[in-house]
Amino acid sequence: MSLTPAACNALLLRVGRERDRDAFAALFQHYAPRVKTLLIKSGSAPSAAEELAQEAMLAVWRKAHLYDPARASAAAWIFTIARNLRIDSLRRGSSTLYEMDLAFGAEDPPQPDAILSGAQDAQTVRAAMRTLNPEQALAIEMAFFQEQTHSQISETLGVPLGTIKARIRFGMMKLRAIIEREMGGAA
Amino acid sequence: MSARRQPSEERLLAFAAGTLSAPESVVVATHLALRPETRAWTELGQAVGGAVLDDLEPSVLGLEALDNTLARLDTPPPAATPAPRNADPSLPAPLRGFELGPWRWMGPGVHVRNVLGPRDGACRVILLRIAPGQSTPLHTHGGVELTCVIEGAYATEEGVFEPGDFEEADPNITHQPRVVSDKPCLCVAALDGEIVLPGRLGKLLAPFVRL
Repeated sequence: MSLTPAACNALLLRVGRERDRDAFAALFQHYAPRVKTLLIKSGSAPSAAEELAQEAMLAVWRKAHLYDPARASAAAWIFTIARNLRIDSLRRGSSTLYEMDLAFGAEDPPQPDAILSGAQDAQTVRAAMRTLNPEQALAIEMAFFQEQTHSQISETLGVPLGTIKARIRFGMMKLRAIIEREMGGAA
Repeated sequence: MSARRQPSEERLLAFAAGTLSAPESVVVATHLALRPETRAWTELGQAVGGAVLDDLEPSVLGLEALDNTLARLDTPPPAATPAPRNADPSLPAPLRGFELGPWRWMGPGVHVRNVLGPRDGACRVILLRIAPGQSTPLHTHGGVELTCVIEGAYATEEGVFEPGDFEEADPNITHQPRVVSDKPCLCVAALDGEIVLPGRLGKLLAPFVRL
């Protein structure tokens, strides 16, 4: 089954505000299998990935009251929960590095160049990703899988390290420009 | 060319993705705590993470996975946020989660203490405190050196570095930062490779000073 980004945001909001178990079950069925894939691609054994995916969804239930759809998409928020759990399982004590991340900047004074009102729309982010050239998109995606350094990515793809870094840098700058432009158009 | 005062986009993406090494993550997180405006980049990385997650092929889960999770929804969560592991309130929040080694003298006006925990091979995290007017007698051989200023300021040929400023050392350049603030300059750094104290003093101290 597949859910639209807007439907995911609405489900997560219902979990946070109404403790709605049906909404949680729907989110679970969409995201738990994908979180498991993400964890396997990040180097977890399938059984550990399955367990951690369930822990991540349990954390989604417990923290959903912190979710603010004006600041992040459900996908980005659930990704962040799964990332934090994975890091915590690998390195104890590192959770303080990421504590602020779930709020997605809610505790900060508004920034003139805040990009999140654009990035909250997962559709915008995916559309922006599709405008990158395939090499930039691949270099950015690879940064999410395995605890691999840029030099390992460079070896895997057989291109110089500086090229990988440049692809990521220009890809990220392009994504930011597109999302900011989208946001400007909507305001 | 003026020096970059924030981590590169590729380092910020790796931080957001959760794939940056532990020592580098500590220095980047310190920068983000002091310079919230840089979070626009890490939040973009998290948004991209959401897009990557949505596009992944779903894995098969055990038949009972959903029911098992639903059955646990009402169990109380484990203990709340862990207490800070060090009692230095002057440190930015990301550094409060780690135990600290004792301050050690590393030369005139220079003290160093280890941030215990984050390691990646030879790479580790230290706090560096340098007195006003002093130069760091330290430089590394090989490996990346990331530095973030917490208090005070230092100057190099590239300009003045103030709290929150992030510097990525170029392995080809050995510079000698000098503290230009009235109070000591406190920095957090990720170091890879051996630290060398240059000059005659370094040779004299080498047998006694180890990091």
